[in-house]
Amino acid sequence: MAANIFITDERIEGDDTENEDADADGPLAGRTVAVKDNISTKGVATTCGSAMLEEYVPPYDATVISRLKEAGATIVGKANMDEFGMGSTTETSAFGPTDNPAAPGHVPGGSSGGSAAAVAAGEADLALGSDTGGSIRCPAAFCGVVGIKPTYGLVSRYGLVAYGNSLEQIGPFGETVEDAAALLDVIAGPDERDATTRDAAPDGESYAAAATGDVDGLTIGVPTELLEGADEDVVDTFWDAIADLEAQGAEYHEVSLPSVEHAVEAYYVIAMSEASSNLARFDGVRYGPETETETEGNWNETFSQVRKDGFGDEVKRRILLGTYALSAGYHDKYYKKAQDARAWVKQDFDEALSEADVLASPTMPVTPFEQGESLDDPLQMYLADANTVPVNLADLPAISVPAGESDADGLPVGLQLVGPAFGEERLIRAASALEFE
Amino acid sequence: MTAQTVQQGDLVTVIGLEVHVQLETDTKIFCGCSTDQTDEPNENVCPVCLGLPGALPVLNEGAVEAAVKIGKAIDADIPEETRFHRKNYYYPDLPKNFQITQYDEPICADGDLEISVEGERRTVTIERAHLEEDPGSLQHVGGGGGIDSADYTLVNYNRAGTPLMEVVTAPDFRSPGEVRAFLAELEEVLEYLGVFDAERDGSLRIDANLSIIPEDEIESDDVTEIGEEALAAANRTEVKNISSHKGAEKALAYEETRQKNAIQRGRAVEQETRHWDESRGITVSMRSKEEEKDYRYFEEADLPPLRVSHWKDEISIPELPSARRERFQDEYTLSEEAASKLTSTKQVADFYEDVAQEFDPDLAATWVADNLLGELNYRDMEITGIESRLDEVTRLVELVATDEITAKNARETVLRSMLDDGRTPDEVVAEEGLGKTGEDEVQQAVVEAIDENPDAVADYESGDDGAINFLVGQVMQKTGGSADPGDVNQLLRAELND
Repeated sequence: MAANIFITDERIEGDDTENEDADADGPLAGRTVAVKDNISTKGVATTCGSAMLEEYVPPYDATVISRLKEAGATIVGKANMDEFGMGSTTETSAFGPTDNPAAPGHVPGGSSGGSAAAVAAGEADLALGSDTGGSIRCPAAFCGVVGIKPTYGLVSRYGLVAYGNSLEQIGPFGETVEDAAALLDVIAGPDERDATTRDAAPDGESYAAAATGDVDGLTIGVPTELLEGADEDVVDTFWDAIADLEAQGAEYHEVSLPSVEHAVEAYYVIAMSEASSNLARFDGVRYGPETETETEGNWNETFSQVRKDGFGDEVKRRILLGTYALSAGYHDKYYKKAQDARAWVKQDFDEALSEADVLASPTMPVTPFEQGESLDDPLQMYLADANTVPVNLADLPAISVPAGESDADGLPVGLQLVGPAFGEERLIRAASALEFE
Repeated sequence: MTAQTVQQGDLVTVIGLEVHVQLETDTKIFCGCSTDQTDEPNENVCPVCLGLPGALPVLNEGAVEAAVKIGKAIDADIPEETRFHRKNYYYPDLPKNFQITQYDEPICADGDLEISVEGERRTVTIERAHLEEDPGSLQHVGGGGGIDSADYTLVNYNRAGTPLMEVVTAPDFRSPGEVRAFLAELEEVLEYLGVFDAERDGSLRIDANLSIIPEDEIESDDVTEIGEEALAAANRTEVKNISSHKGAEKALAYEETRQKNAIQRGRAVEQETRHWDESRGITVSMRSKEEEKDYRYFEEADLPPLRVSHWKDEISIPELPSARRERFQDEYTLSEEAASKLTSTKQVADFYEDVAQEFDPDLAATWVADNLLGELNYRDMEITGIESRLDEVTRLVELVATDEITAKNARETVLRSMLDDGRTPDEVVAEEGLGKTGEDEVQQAVVEAIDENPDAVADYESGDDGAINFLVGQVMQKTGGSADPGDVNQLLRAELND
């Protein structure tokens, strides 16, 4: 099958003289960037991998796109993704699945599968994805590239089509930690259009400058709960990577995050609840396919029909579940309880990070699925997010860096490092050590 | 007590209000778009107020400031921090199909407003007042033009995102008249605070809940206290689409009569939403047996909680109408009626005080409350319409105070000319020759009148005091009406008695 990395492969030239924002001497001049198709690009279709938005062309740029243009980057296309970010394989895209360049015949992970595949295939130097529960780290791990999920509030979400807005961040992909960090340098920083952004500049010169590979004296906490559900081969590869870091002067010890056993449930309740509200605007008034069913001007029937026709199964499943979780009589049982669990997860991370500089785990408990393998079993797919979703619940930064290949099948395995809020430099420094073998 | 046995005299009307007030800010509550709704449809819009995918709200602190002012004016509790929630429902005028509003932590809670109804003071409890965004507006086109009969419907998003304050009262009203008095007082307070523009179309929108309960369900002597069970047992109707305090009184009087008639005839009052049809003067059923709506409220994560604890101290509010009314009565020894008129809007009260500082407060009261407001009212104008010409009105009062023109000419000729053809008072006086005639001239006219009317003089001297009026008339004629009749009378008597 074709790689199917891009939904729209329109280029926005960084050195285009018509682009007044572009800076020919900018930090990303001459570099190409693939952009996940849920990040708004003025004049270029932004579909979110959904038939609902097939015809939607935003009249404005996301803040990160303005910053890319100002930095002189060339955008090479809008990358494929799971519909509205809902999936871990890029198979729920209305525009067909994307193949994994690092493991043909397998999924690239998701939901930012097209972005990771673009970097892995050399279609772009860098890429932007978004991560609501692992959607940057999962495809980074599956495609053997580097992906960073920034601290909630480090990167503006203005222009990112919302899925779970209290959880998600835009973040960079690169072939190396330094590349990804350099893209983070361009997109990070406060934005008056996103009230949740914070002013948290790097302590050093830049995030990229932190990619020194210096892990001497670094303490790594390994949460035992995040190893329990992982495949044996994945765990073996993970320990090899830890041993590598140890050899370079880092120390590790085991830590416990007892709350994470509830994290997947809490994450899905919160993300689906938010999604049920965030996706409500797609009602056929301004977006969505024309409904062919005669509804005789009945508003409820009209918007229901548009949503039935325009959304895929996984999106409908999550909207229905989220609506249910917020409904009177269930709100306290599900939504409120999930918020309590979220607070508990945050507290556990705070405690674990008071005893270690970073926390390490396999990014994904498994190696890439074969195409089509997981689609029929949503629950299995949700459980694969066990190691990534707790980080979003805790608003913390994390990086996925290639840890090697599984001995059993030779497929890529990613190492996830989690740091304290706005501790991106520490993660970049530690992750880059794995590249200096 | 069954419905059949209830007599009209045994029934009490209970009304509670939800009042939506558009706050007068330059820009919308979550974006920088203008709140001007008179512009072309969909002119004042951006990705945020259109609810485009990816757009995020950023709170306009001006709207919060206005809300804090309202909170202080109604003596409400203002929390340490305030946060926003999403209210989820599908409607074509709602860009995101959820409304950003406040749920369990409103910016104002537990306030009250004192009103005066037929000379009696009443305190109305305001349970809460919260900030939210206004939806867009729908225009039904073609066909029957109604919501269910039009060919198609257009959406105008200019209104979307206009800051609204929803003021929710306790069920404290016992009559439509009380509702009207409350709304008038509320409007006055909001105008004083400078957070509300009554002239703006749709700036005040009222939903009212009305139920009728048997009088013996009232638990205490205080008519404001109604047992919760009695209220819950009575079916209530929610009347929507009310847009003024006059409309509220009419709509609720209609609804009150309709419900009482139903009860007297032994029919149950249905729990339903009714629409006030202003042109027909009736309420019509919109939805009956409405299912309980579930808005699935949850926190709006895109707007971090805003700390407002210190705002209460930092934001000051002007003297409010009720306080100013009392002060006017004390300080300027005005009647309650005059003080009421003079405090009806902040502009009127400010202007009155300006004039009263310079001239006699009584004269100022007559001029502002009676003459100016009377003439403006007659022309369907507001004081705001002549704001730039208030110094001309002051000059007119000065002309009267310094006796340069007569009060009658000032009121009937000068003020009216000023309002009708835009001339200044001095222009009118000069052009119409209204300047008071000089003393010599009047004296000469007096002498002439006496010389020319020996019969009237004889009558006066023989004790017919009425004859003096004839002579005054003669003098007035000679002076073209510019002399003061009282002065003329004095001068004539002095001359005749010499």
